[in-house]
Order: sequence, then structure tokens, then C-alpha cells
Amino acid sequence: MKIFVCIKQVPDTEAKIAPDGAGIDELAVEKWILNPYDEFAVEEAVRLKEASGDIEVVAVSLGPERVKGVFQTALAMGADRGIHIVTNDPLDPAQVAEALAAAVTDDGLPQLIFTGTVAIDDCANQVHLRLAHNLGASAAINVSSFSWTDEGAEVFSEAGNGSRNRLLLKAPAVVAVTRGINKPRYPTLPNIMKAKKKEVRRIELDALETGSGSPAVEITAIEAPEEFTGGTILEGESADTVPELVDRLHNEVRIV
Amino acid sequence: MDLRLSEDQKMIREAARDFLEGECPSSFVRDLEGSSTGHDPHLWQAMAELGLMGVSFPEEYGGLGKGFLELCVLIEEMGRFRLTGPFFTTVALCGMAIIRFGTQEQKSQYLGPIAGGERIMAYAALEPGRSWDTSSCALRAEEDDGAWILNGVKIFVPYAEAADDLLVLARTGEGSENGLTLFIVDTSDPGVSLKRLQTLGPEHQYEVLFEDVSVQGNRILGAPGRGLEASNMVSQWGAAAKCAQMVGGAQRVLEMSVEYAKERVQFGKPIGTFQAVQHNCANMAVDLDSSRFISYEAIWRLEEGLEAATEVSAAKAWVSDACSRVCRLGHGVHGAIGFTMEHDMQLYSRHCKEAELAFGDADWHREQVARRIGL
Repeated sequence: MKIFVCIKQVPDTEAKIAPDGAGIDELAVEKWILNPYDEFAVEEAVRLKEASGDIEVVAVSLGPERVKGVFQTALAMGADRGIHIVTNDPLDPAQVAEALAAAVTDDGLPQLIFTGTVAIDDCANQVHLRLAHNLGASAAINVSSFSWTDEGAEVFSEAGNGSRNRLLLKAPAVVAVTRGINKPRYPTLPNIMKAKKKEVRRIELDALETGSGSPAVEITAIEAPEEFTGGTILEGESADTVPELVDRLHNEVRIV
Repeated sequence: MDLRLSEDQKMIREAARDFLEGECPSSFVRDLEGSSTGHDPHLWQAMAELGLMGVSFPEEYGGLGKGFLELCVLIEEMGRFRLTGPFFTTVALCGMAIIRFGTQEQKSQYLGPIAGGERIMAYAALEPGRSWDTSSCALRAEEDDGAWILNGVKIFVPYAEAADDLLVLARTGEGSENGLTLFIVDTSDPGVSLKRLQTLGPEHQYEVLFEDVSVQGNRILGAPGRGLEASNMVSQWGAAAKCAQMVGGAQRVLEMSVEYAKERVQFGKPIGTFQAVQHNCANMAVDLDSSRFISYEAIWRLEEGLEAATEVSAAKAWVSDACSRVCRLGHGVHGAIGFTMEHDMQLYSRHCKEAELAFGDADWHREQVARRIGL
């Protein structure tokens, strides 16, 4: 059985992001990482492989040369090989899904595709469902529990407010996982070294049979949030300021 | 001349950093220091599963097959996250000694379990009232019908309570050339007793008393009388690796200080705009940079099997002073908040002080350099 895992490279969550017009100053990003939600996806795929035996896990991503860094992580976690769709073009979620579908189909349509439920950079939250549509596959997002049965993927999908739906997805299925489904393993040093020898096949985006043209969705501006200017500083001795604080919390803010 | 880390070394550093960032927050390190043994078995096992213990061990013993340099890259990261525990003494001292001087049987018996996180060892060489020059060792081992009987005391033995075995330097003859031997002593052997020492630093250090401790001949590391050569090498590895650890800690101190200088506002401006603060941070950067290069020159020479005694002493002398300066200036940049126990600065400065005094302080190593350059 073959499982694909769609992975995305994003700026490190600790990085200081500098808005640069319609994007960010990528040269200022000191560290790029595997999208944390995609880490859950890789971990879930590798666990299924370890439990079931005869499974190949293929990581697939698209982007410029620097994207090969996330393959190192995925392969060191246990993915068997990778497919890197190489492009320097900015793509919208529809185009990304189209490219992923083409690469997956070209490699041999699998029964199961894992993705993270959201990318932490743009939070577009569309690629998984668009990918499923392009492949004619069933899909579920915000998946917090997964098991593979003879009938397909049995999942719990978080529906908000503490409720969740129990779904059975027939293969082929796209399963977009969320935080809490597992705790991703740290790649071991031996596996990191072994990952260097695993294959990452490069495909130029132009070589895939996808629709051409400009992105239908274009980011026109990215702005930093406004600085918080509110708040009150109570000055004076604590014998005076503490009672005042308690009074305000009780009578104005009404939280005590 | 390419002074950069290799791709493999970068990967080891990144893997260690990711792991330690997630598993060793300040709160954990503080709890570890305050615990009874200073050793956390869960973290130890996680480190072993990651392959950290076996970085410098041959693959046939469960290791990664890398060398001392890669081990020091790892130790630098541990310094960055001010992680204490028996890793240094087990892997960098005892593990390296067994690889270099152990018999085939000893390598098979100890290296695999160390790599697998099943065995902790501690190095015991220093004695009360004696110098860092371990050739002055007084603890005696007398041969008795195939076994050796050890009597004496060792101090500043790190993590002895958590250790399964001690690698003990003992006097088996007169003179230092052939009169010293390293023994592997089980800490549960009759006659071994431990006393925790109260020290400034975060590591758990012990006084270990040996009273008629009987050790079989097959637990001599390598061969009798090779103790001087082995203990000198252990001292060099220890001093060089301590430099790497101090560099890791100093790196983080510089980062914390620059971050603080950008945020802390006094007199209407970030304190990082004041020239004195800028100069102090610049001096920290210069001290850190020079420490890194002099450390890795010594480490590289040890890795390559080159004569390295002068370089190791030069590194230890310089780095001990430089990293102490970095910590002192770091406290200055942080001002009052940096002098509270709540702030992490004290973790770094105490860790640095402890490392400064390990394997010879700066003055002792300056004497070694002076002697080697002909004075």
C-alpha cells in the first residue's frame, strides 16, 4: 500500500516576520521548518506503516530549492522517499492542489493521503479539500483520531465547541490531521543520516499537466498587527494601588 | 580554509537543538538541579533513543560512527540549553576512554549499553589536596591473588550516585610513567561509599571513599600501568569538551543580552542604544567568537589524533576567562533582573564557573602553555 503525505515548508514560528508589501521578506527568515500540522501528518503515516508493515510512505511538496529541507525532516521521521515539485512561482491554493494531484496521479494514485489541516503561514485551509476534489477522493479535515480498516479510514473530525464527528472515508481518502492526533517523534540521529540516502525525485512544475495561468487568488498586502496601546498603569505605593486594582477588576472589568 | 561545520555536523546540531528546545526548558533544568541525583531517567532514555549517547561510538557498538568533534558539537548545544546530568562524564570521558584504551571485551561490555542508555559511568580522578595534574594520584590499588584492592578517596566525582560504574584512577606502582592504572569499579561493590558535595555549580558532585574495594583484573581499563596515558587523554578530552560547553552557554547569554538590550527601555530609549551597552555586547561577541575558534581548533586536533596538549591548554585558559567575562557582562546588561534567581542568567553563570574550574582552571592551563613554549 502507498500513502502520500503532503508537506509544506513555512517560516519558523519563532522567526520575526517582516512584512514586505504583498509578502514577507524571505531573506530575513533565519529558519524554515516543516509546517507543524504536516509533522502530525508524517507521524501518523509512519505509525501506520510501522503497525502494518507493507506500506510505502511518500512525502510530496512544492516550492523553490530551499524546500528540500523539509524532505530531510520527513524522511528522517520515517518517510521512504519524496517528490519535490520545483517552482519559484507564487501559487494559489487551487494551483497547489492541482499540482499535487498531478504529481500523485503520475506516481500512482494511493489509497490514502495525509495532510496537515492548516499551514501556519497563510492559514488558507483549502488545499486538502481541493486536492480531494481533484482526485475524486473522500476527505475529512480537523482529524484528531485515525485508524485504517478494511473499509477505509475511520476518523474523528473536530467540529468545534468540543464536539466531533465520527466518519468512515472510503479509499482513496484525503485525511487532514490536526494537533492532538499524535506526538511527532524527534528524528533519531541514525535516521537523519540514513535519510540522506533516500530518494527525493524532482519534477519541474511545468512538466506536470496542470492548468496554466496566473493565480486566481492574490495576496495584495500583509500587515503587522497594530501595537497594543491600551492598558492603565497604577502608580504609587502598593498599599494604595492594590486596593484600587481589586476595585477595578471587580467593578469595571468584572472578572473577580 | 573552510571553518564551517559539515552538513552532517549541522544536522547533528539541529537535531540536538530541536530536541533540547522541546525537552529542556528552564523549569526542567532547575528541577533537575534540585533533584536527589541530578539525573532524569526519562530524559536519559529519550536521549539514548535519539542516538545522542552513541554519536562518537563505533557503529558496531550501537553508535553513529562519528568522532569527538561531532560529540563536542552536541555538547555545545547542551551548554546552550544549560543541561546538566551524567552525559558528559559517561560519554565524553568514560566512553571515549573505553573506545581508545579498552579491551575488545570491555568495549563490547560497556559501549553498547552506554549507547542504549542502559549504563551510566562517572570518572573519578581528582583527590583532596592534590592538583589537577592527575599524575599525583595517591589512591592505591594493591594486587591480591588476581584481584586489586583499592583504598583512598576521590572528590568532585560527577553524578556518582546515578552511576552504575566509576572509572577510577589508582596508583599501582611508583612513579607516574607506569605507576597508574584505570579501574572500572561497580558503584555497588562493597567498600564504595558516596557523599554529596555542596558546590556552587548545578552539577551533582560527590566525594567517593574506597575502603578495601576488590576489583577483578579484567576490570582494568586496557592494561595495568597505562593509567597516565589514559588519564592525560581523558583530561584533554574533558578540557576541550568543557570549552565547547562553555561556548554554547556563552552564545545563549549573548543572545539573551542583545534581546534584552533591544526591549528594555530606560530614560526613554532602549538600553541597546547606549554606547556602553553596545560596547559590552560587542565585547561579548568578540569573546564568544574567539572562544569558539580556539576551542574547535583544539577539538579538531584531538579528533585528528594530532598532538594537542598546547592547544587544549590554550583553549581552556582562554575560554575559561572569556566565557566568565561574557557571563559577567550579561549580568550587567540585564541589570537587577539578571541578579535574581528567577532569571536564567544565574544558571549560565554558575554553569560557566563550574566549567571554568573543571580539568584545570585558567591559571593552571596558562602554566601548561608557558611550560610548552619553553618557559
